[in-house]
Amino acid sequence: MLRKKFFNVGFVGVDVADRAPFGLTALARYPLFPPEFVDFVRAVVPADRHDTLVYSVVLTARNPIVREGGS
Amino acid sequence: MPYFTEAQARSIIRETYESAKGEDRCVAQALYTLQELSGLPEGAVMLAFGVGNPVRHAGLSPGDVVLDVGCGAGIDTLLAASRVGPNGRALGLDMTPRMLELAAHHAASAGFANVDVHEGLMEALPFADASVDVVVSNGVLNLSTRKSRALAEMHRVLRPGGRVCLADLVLSENLPEEIVKNPTALVA
Repeated sequence: MLRKKFFNVGFVGVDVADRAPFGLTALARYPLFPPEFVDFVRAVVPADRHDTLVYSVVLTARNPIVREGGS
Repeated sequence: MPYFTEAQARSIIRETYESAKGEDRCVAQALYTLQELSGLPEGAVMLAFGVGNPVRHAGLSPGDVVLDVGCGAGIDTLLAASRVGPNGRALGLDMTPRMLELAAHHAASAGFANVDVHEGLMEALPFADASVDVVVSNGVLNLSTRKSRALAEMHRVLRPGGRVCLADLVLSENLPEEIVKNPTALVA
């Protein structure tokens, strides 16, 4: 979905440079999220997803030099 | 259907980051090497709230002009400034005045003369067309209710052949609605 948004605005060569699971342990590192919020997420999300709530990704892409692929 | 209007989301995010405190180095140590962190001001390290290490993958070269969208307290801006060197420039953009003040302070205290910070929105970047070689951003695009608009702005300010490198969080499957509509979750 995010990759498609890159293509839609004109980027080319969209690639995933890094991808890692982001779970409750990672969430709890951030002072933006108080302990009660982390506990709330722990209670609401099934235990089998606690280590992979979402994924952290690094996406790379570039602007075409000219109209690459065009005539 | 979004649970927050653009104005609500922006207000929540601004309020959160205006009062955010760095309590330890946990986040930074999970994302950056000790070598990358060495020499950076402790305040920038403690206020690292990104979710990846886009500068590592951005392929920066000496002399590049790099824009850090949503620079926060400046950790990625400073890492980028180090890589582009004195003939390059690292531009930090953020919508939160306190974070910009901190980023400018951290750049000055670390002796970076090639850093400029700018207040603005990722959906309306205050930079000319084709004026930037590389855009980096770390855990920021997700904060926008208009992600395609923000990406289009990055595309606009990049020169032909310029690169973008973004770290962010993505879902592999939906989270429960109770979480998605929680204002605290919005800042992730």
